[in-house]
Amino acid sequence: MSMTVERPTEQQAGSNGAKAREPGVPLPLVPNLGRTVRVVGPVVNVDTSQLPHPKNQRGELGKALFNWYHNTVSKDPLTRVSAPNHFADRRHFLTNITNRAPKGQVNPQRVAVSDPAAMTRHIKRVAHYMGADICRIARAHPAFLYAGNRYIQDGATEDEYASLGPAELARRFPYIVVITTAWDYEKLQAHRHHIGDASYHISQMKANLILKSVEGYIRELGYTALRGVSNPQGAGLAAGVGELGRNGLVISEKFGPRIHMPDPIMTDLPLLPDEPIDIGVNEFCQICRKCAITCPTNSITFEDKVVYNGIEKFKIKWETCYRLRPYVADHWGSCLTCVTVCPYTKPNVWWRTLTVKTLSACPVPARPALVRALKWVDDKFWGVVRQKRVRWMGYDSGIKPGEKACTIAGCTAAHENAGASAKVEGNIGYYAPLKENTNRFVKRDV
Amino acid sequence: MSKVALRLGPITLPWLGKPADDPYWDFFLHTPPHDVQNSAVDLVRKAPEGAINPAQEEIHSPEINARHIKELAVFLGAKLVGIAALDPTAPDTPEGYPFAIVNVVRAEHDPRETPGIGGQVPVQNGLYVTFVLSAYIRELGFRATAKRPADGVRLAAAAGLGTVDAQGRLVTPQYGAKVYVADIVFTDLPLAPDRSSRG
Repeated sequence: MSMTVERPTEQQAGSNGAKAREPGVPLPLVPNLGRTVRVVGPVVNVDTSQLPHPKNQRGELGKALFNWYHNTVSKDPLTRVSAPNHFADRRHFLTNITNRAPKGQVNPQRVAVSDPAAMTRHIKRVAHYMGADICRIARAHPAFLYAGNRYIQDGATEDEYASLGPAELARRFPYIVVITTAWDYEKLQAHRHHIGDASYHISQMKANLILKSVEGYIRELGYTALRGVSNPQGAGLAAGVGELGRNGLVISEKFGPRIHMPDPIMTDLPLLPDEPIDIGVNEFCQICRKCAITCPTNSITFEDKVVYNGIEKFKIKWETCYRLRPYVADHWGSCLTCVTVCPYTKPNVWWRTLTVKTLSACPVPARPALVRALKWVDDKFWGVVRQKRVRWMGYDSGIKPGEKACTIAGCTAAHENAGASAKVEGNIGYYAPLKENTNRFVKRDV
Repeated sequence: MSKVALRLGPITLPWLGKPADDPYWDFFLHTPPHDVQNSAVDLVRKAPEGAINPAQEEIHSPEINARHIKELAVFLGAKLVGIAALDPTAPDTPEGYPFAIVNVVRAEHDPRETPGIGGQVPVQNGLYVTFVLSAYIRELGFRATAKRPADGVRLAAAAGLGTVDAQGRLVTPQYGAKVYVADIVFTDLPLAPDRSSRG
């Protein structure tokens, strides 16, 4: 797995639309990203201006998506306080406050770290104490880092190291702390619904608050903490948060793909990096394809891995995935179907632990048979797509999208717009079938 | 019942899984931040309050509203939630807010005695709940403000969450005194108040 590659030459860099900041500087050993992702060629550092949200902010992805991003106030009050950019009042969105706050000074009285292993245990304990679900450390590698600039989508991330290139940053700040929070499993069952959105957005806000707090704490310890420098997935794979699945998401051991990995912290605090894990995602995703089958926009490939930007992985078509959003914004914010149907998305309980442990202990040649058996169990008991009816707060996924009804027993309020006692029976949630409308998202030109 | 049995989490034995030797934990709990901007608590508390949405959402009856607000607070991380009706004649009651939503989070260490970033984690967790909850109510089109009154513990007792001990701490049946009463969300959203544990 370890091999040496040279930095890309200028013409290779140009073909990807990203800039190689330091041509001619050789990369160190190729990072170990586990079994699902292999670095096979020269990697061009991604320019943050080429990421989906910045492209959309400039209007490069078409009017519909631009207007959805900039000018849409959500109809759902909970989305208005928890989702980026769809608030009626931006002061109601906590992440705006945490991520745009000025940064504190590094404490000049540095806490001496004699044993990096003890400090690693401490930082992980701190993150879990604040409510994180997974905290692991990656050894920084220039290939994870953005090309020189900072990712500023969610806030102000300028710092005095902005002029350093990826190689120099990885040398001076050799560790990346990846902190994740898991989405609520029960609420996620109502994906393509505001209940699923709540599961997604609220844990995202929490993760941003935890990261802000841990970032401040590392400065209090007397060390530098940089944000907006590293690709969370690269760092997450190297840290062993999970393995990259067919759906383009990092699939974790305890929670599957239902995790948030907001902008990780790059630091010079002496730590002990973790290793990538093997939970059988490589074999599972070769066989399963549940996410590809159910994706409403056909953005997930049915084919094998491809080499993109020097990295062999399952490549999703992010543009078609993203382009769905303005058309469904009245009914939900985030689709989340590929996460909900993933067989790794299960409650974090003993039978899940047992299954994942069995899968990772199983020798690789015997895994396909085990995976086929597990997929059969998953299809049989959880279904090809989740259609469970979820009721939470005033929401009810049993009500058809676009219709309003109050289905709460005992509610005596007079509802003007909603059918006060609309009869909705059964335990099957409304699942908007979008597959037949797929072509408009795939073929349409902007 | 079978479903409940299937959902049992991992078995944890209380004498196992004790934290390994951690020489930095004391610093985490007790050393106040050198620069307050490194504290997330400070920046969330100082954040300005947003405007009340002029388009009021359709709401349910007060009992149902109270249930929904509690469901949201618990989802945000509150361990106990209670609603107290405020006495409009009392001198320190903020005007125009008939109800107080009291959120209680776990606190292994009393934040008043542990000024470090770690010691303030219960405050951070509490602020997360009260910030989002009050913003949500304002987005519903009702008045809501998260404040830190002197009598927060008394309001928690009035909301039926526990009793006040001699040191002025809230003692709850579920978690004892290892709790922290978060900022109080004052609101005029129609809610059904909880009965005080004494009444």
